[in-house]
Amino acid sequence: MVSPLLILAAGLGAAFLLGLLRQTSERAAFYVTIAALGFMGFIALSWTVGLALGDALPVMITTAGTAPPFAINLFMGGMEAALISVVTLTGLLSAFYMRKDLLRLGRRVMAVLLVLIMALSGLIMTRDLFNLFVFIELIVIASAGLILLSRDTRALGAGFKYLVVSQVISILLLVGVIFTYHANGSLNIDDIPARPMVFTGASLAIFLVLIALVLELKPFPANGWALDIYESAHPGFSAIFSAASGTAAAFAAFKLFDVAGPAWLPLATGIGIVTFVGANLLALAQSHDRRLLGYSSVGQIGLVLMVIGQADILGATLPYVAGGILISHAVAKSGLFWLSGLVKGRELSDWAALRDNPVLIVAFATFIAMLTGLPPFPAFYAKWALVHALMANGAFALTAAFLIAALIEAAVLFRWFGMAIKRESRRAVVVNLTYEAVVLLAMGTSFVLSWIWGAASGQENLITLVPLLFALLFLPLDIFPAKAKNLLAIAGLVVWFALSFHGLDPIRLVFLIIMVLGGALLLLASFHAEGRRMGFYTPAMLMFAGMALLITSETSFQFFAAWEFLTVGSYFLILRGHDSEPHALSYIVFSLGGAFALLAGFALASGGKFTFFVSELSEIAPQVAPYVFVLLAIGFLTKTAVMGLHIWLPGAHAEAETDVSPMVSGILLKAGLFGLFILLLEMGHQTLYGIDLTVVLVWLGALSAFVGAVLAAFQEDAKRLLAYSSISQMGYAVFGLALMNHLGWLLALMFAINHFVYKSMLFLAVGGVKERTHTKLMYKMGGLITLMPYTFVSVLVGIIAMSGVPPLSGFGGRWIFYNAIMSTDLRLPMILVFMSGPVGFLYLFRLIHSIFLGQPKDELRMVKEAPFWIVAPQMLFVAFLIAFAALPGMILRRVDGYIGQIFGDQPLTWSGRIVDSQFGTWNPVAIWGVIAVVFITILLLLIWMNHNAQRVKQFNIVFSAERPFKPQTTHFAWNFFAPYRKAMGFLEAPIATGFWTGVSNALHGTAEFTRKFYTGNGQTYAVQLLLFVVAVYLIVLGSMGGAS
Amino acid sequence: MSSFPNFAWGQVPLALLTLFIVINYGMIMTALVRKIGARVGGRYGIPIWQNYIDLLKNIALRSKISHGVMYYLAPVFRLTGGVGLLLFVPTIYGSDWHQNFSYAGDLILALYFVFFGTLGMALGAGESGHPHSAIGVSRGLSQVTMAELPLALGVYAISLQYQTLDITQIVAAQQGSIFNWTLFTNPLATIAAMFAFVGTMMRSPFDVVIAPQEIPIGPPTEYHSSYLALMQTNRVLFPVAKTVIYMNLFFGGATNWAEFAIKVFVLYMLTAVIGVVHPRFRVEQSIRFFLKWGLPVGVLAILTV
Repeated sequence: MVSPLLILAAGLGAAFLLGLLRQTSERAAFYVTIAALGFMGFIALSWTVGLALGDALPVMITTAGTAPPFAINLFMGGMEAALISVVTLTGLLSAFYMRKDLLRLGRRVMAVLLVLIMALSGLIMTRDLFNLFVFIELIVIASAGLILLSRDTRALGAGFKYLVVSQVISILLLVGVIFTYHANGSLNIDDIPARPMVFTGASLAIFLVLIALVLELKPFPANGWALDIYESAHPGFSAIFSAASGTAAAFAAFKLFDVAGPAWLPLATGIGIVTFVGANLLALAQSHDRRLLGYSSVGQIGLVLMVIGQADILGATLPYVAGGILISHAVAKSGLFWLSGLVKGRELSDWAALRDNPVLIVAFATFIAMLTGLPPFPAFYAKWALVHALMANGAFALTAAFLIAALIEAAVLFRWFGMAIKRESRRAVVVNLTYEAVVLLAMGTSFVLSWIWGAASGQENLITLVPLLFALLFLPLDIFPAKAKNLLAIAGLVVWFALSFHGLDPIRLVFLIIMVLGGALLLLASFHAEGRRMGFYTPAMLMFAGMALLITSETSFQFFAAWEFLTVGSYFLILRGHDSEPHALSYIVFSLGGAFALLAGFALASGGKFTFFVSELSEIAPQVAPYVFVLLAIGFLTKTAVMGLHIWLPGAHAEAETDVSPMVSGILLKAGLFGLFILLLEMGHQTLYGIDLTVVLVWLGALSAFVGAVLAAFQEDAKRLLAYSSISQMGYAVFGLALMNHLGWLLALMFAINHFVYKSMLFLAVGGVKERTHTKLMYKMGGLITLMPYTFVSVLVGIIAMSGVPPLSGFGGRWIFYNAIMSTDLRLPMILVFMSGPVGFLYLFRLIHSIFLGQPKDELRMVKEAPFWIVAPQMLFVAFLIAFAALPGMILRRVDGYIGQIFGDQPLTWSGRIVDSQFGTWNPVAIWGVIAVVFITILLLLIWMNHNAQRVKQFNIVFSAERPFKPQTTHFAWNFFAPYRKAMGFLEAPIATGFWTGVSNALHGTAEFTRKFYTGNGQTYAVQLLLFVVAVYLIVLGSMGGAS
Repeated sequence: MSSFPNFAWGQVPLALLTLFIVINYGMIMTALVRKIGARVGGRYGIPIWQNYIDLLKNIALRSKISHGVMYYLAPVFRLTGGVGLLLFVPTIYGSDWHQNFSYAGDLILALYFVFFGTLGMALGAGESGHPHSAIGVSRGLSQVTMAELPLALGVYAISLQYQTLDITQIVAAQQGSIFNWTLFTNPLATIAAMFAFVGTMMRSPFDVVIAPQEIPIGPPTEYHSSYLALMQTNRVLFPVAKTVIYMNLFFGGATNWAEFAIKVFVLYMLTAVIGVVHPRFRVEQSIRFFLKWGLPVGVLAILTV
């Protein structure tokens, strides 16, 4: 192993060497710089690998041949090696990235860059307090020098402000160092714990040291001085400033907090969480991309500080957790800064230029997922471990603050991503192969890191999961035609089903069939797509991977990871819709919010154990069980879009593409239902404050069933109508589940199957209509029955099935429903469910009437039947619905038996094809027989009497003795249920939307208000900083006084 | 015959017999009720066989037009709804002849099959392209959402009371004395259901669906000739079939055709009487009416059972 000291020597030596070169040989200077940085990176990496594999041992390097404290000593351990690798490699890549500007400005700047990287490495390694101060001074001066690299004139001001405030911090640090020496007699960091200064009256000394190091992390709100740098500096330097400087400073703070003792940890926790929350809140208000990244950097480093504050509860996992967040931040943030160099405009929406190059979009998505802590990236594992540790130690408020701020951060980042995908770019992307190469290297690194963190997690290594890899496989395959990829995708789903269905219980099997085979079936519709359809298959397969893994998951970790996969995959899918930008955002925010509730729930349930089997939910302590139930239920109910948490659904489902709507509606909603199945299966009845939580679920389900149906009846947009109808249908299913009896569960399962079939079918049908008419507004259509007969048939069968009218399968659901409510004590919620049944007719009739019946419009006279591949799956669904209606036993019987094992009863008897319950009978074959015979007889009778009826043309109607003027005024369609609206329109009041808009406005308002502190004046910033220090000191003093 | 365990060919002529009796009864009874209504209004009224005349006239009409497939099928749906409803419910309690095909299902089947004809009719009327048809459907569906609610609650109450969904068992439980009728054992449920009964019989004050003044006859506006003949047949059959359900659930059922005739007539007259003396509600008014009066009674019914 090469001595780590050479990292410093190489940096410094090369910097001096540059001075010896001729002024004009910038190229040579550049290569010297690169070589030095490369060498430094090589040493750091070799130590990282050596230490990780156990080939090397941590080493303490003494300088000047003397033992500390009389000389400076440096330490190289695993953490140091890894972080120096981050620092040096960021420096190396940024040097490549800034090549043109470095050459332009010459060897002096290169020397400064080398000194900066050297100093950052030194900051990480040193164990001497004064040496720490020296490195910080070096960093400050070098940073100020590099800020001037930018051509942006504001950089000058930013650099000056930075220098001013940094000096204030340095003074604080220096005073702290002096005090410490006075109190302790040593400047060696490792000597500090020998005399815990908090008890020696010299707490001010350690406070000053700590606060100075914390201030280096740019805590909120004392960080105005640093943010201008992100905004105006060269993106290559901003990457270093954010990733390398942030990393080194965070580690320096960690070193000091580590030795200062547990009494000081609340300082780190407090400032850390305030910074994380505050910075993310402020990021909401940003429209400038690099400034947003600056706030995000501040937030992430604040989070690391908060994690450092949890050293006592995290114990040995601290490096794993803090490192996961820090490294994710470093890679993603530097990646994003580098990416920003490829975008000409500085508005967030200017990132739409990236669409010119799909690879860059993938990189953008990767970095954002990495920052947000989505699987399989390191921050995901870190988040998992952190929340588990926090919840196990009762830090509920802190967890809540962390998760809410993380949600805001996700909202900020995904809003930005949505803009990049959906907005129009005004300027083309910069073509620069070096930039792209650097960005791609960062992206590659993120996947390598994902593998490392996964391997060290003690859980499943998510990046090695076959379904995920299969989804990622479509990234390189995106250059092939969509039809070939579609075939592969369908084959993949079928094969995965064949591999994974063995040994599943019937409930899981039904869900797996719906999600995986149903997905394959719906993908048939995707054969309709022309061209390459880039960016469709990876998210789609990611979503299906998530669902397949969800069903087969055993531990809470697998479950949660699968949940996040399907959430992210479906988000990217939904975002593809034409007008879906705001809806996809609201979808991802609600979904991640729900996912965080799941995370908290699982963490609370497991009591800190990382490996927690979902089946253990039934064994958790009764005092926490109800809270676990509430958290998990919130997570699942967000997915099923229960009333109140539903506002994301109509837009997300309605604006998605034709073949995506049925996937996210017919299939994805079942994930929430599956979760509720598992939750209720394992936890059953739970009581909180004397309220049975399943009763709350019953009410929520009934309310969703009713209000969803009413709102559906008032929609003019066909897809929105279907979306609201999904809320209603899922309400029925939740209601059935929460009844907690055998038939209720069978009802829920029947709804899961039926809803999948008819909602997929109807969404495809309406999507097919939209493909042809180019509108979703029903009143603009009319009379399409003769032009699109197959689509009409599928809608007809769909609405008969959905309305519950015999003989189709919806009736079976109603029959089970009545039998289920006969065996429950709950009466009042039934009123809502009874009310929602007939309202179903309203919206269903409107759907078929306004589109297919009535008067055809002139502009739609030439419309053709929907494309073959959109109609084909519908016809399969029609066949299934009819078969399922006649022979429900083919699916339900096995499930019924299984549910019987759970509840220990068997209320249904299946004799032949007849189903008997304690209360009544359902004989589907007889129903079919009677109806079919009567219908055909009467039809024959009519044909016999009326065979010579004359087909008349449009407008040949009895119309007050006049001829109707035009179809627009004759087709009664707009505001179809006006009388119903007059009576029940009050239910349309957007209470939930109003509430969530209020929350969002309050957050934005707070952000706008807080922005006022950022005056842009360097002196004000310095004063703010000092006031911050005083305030923190008073708070710390107060809390310590209170403690003693 | 193992796959159709309850079926026997002999049931077919018996079911046709039931159908024949009920259609003829309905023809005469509805004409009688119209005549009574006319006399109350000081008019002479129609002859008692008017319905037969209308039927024959419509079948004999020579001009026949069609607006399309659904338009053509709507009367079929409509009449299938009526005939099916009759056949899924036992007509005469204790009679082997008139159990029809009630083994196919229970009360829930009957309740949901009521909508079969309505839905088909609405679809056919929609295809005619006549705005009055669509307006009628819009009004009808809006009204029925609330009008059916008290019935659903009443039915829930009595199925809890009798602990069964089987119509025959419910009728059986009411035998013995007039005081065993649900009307007396569970008056709240009965009152709730009667709100729905009055509300869905297409008579004033709830007949805005076919509002003869503004949207002449509503959904069937475009129907004529044999189409109308089938619908007329249904118009005499369906109310009777529906009344049979109410009679079975709340008024002790019928053990013979005479009892059947009387009970159906009395129940039918109830809506006629109310209709003669009340002006018409607008749709939103009737919705509010059912919310204000029908719903509370229904809620009381399910809470007190």
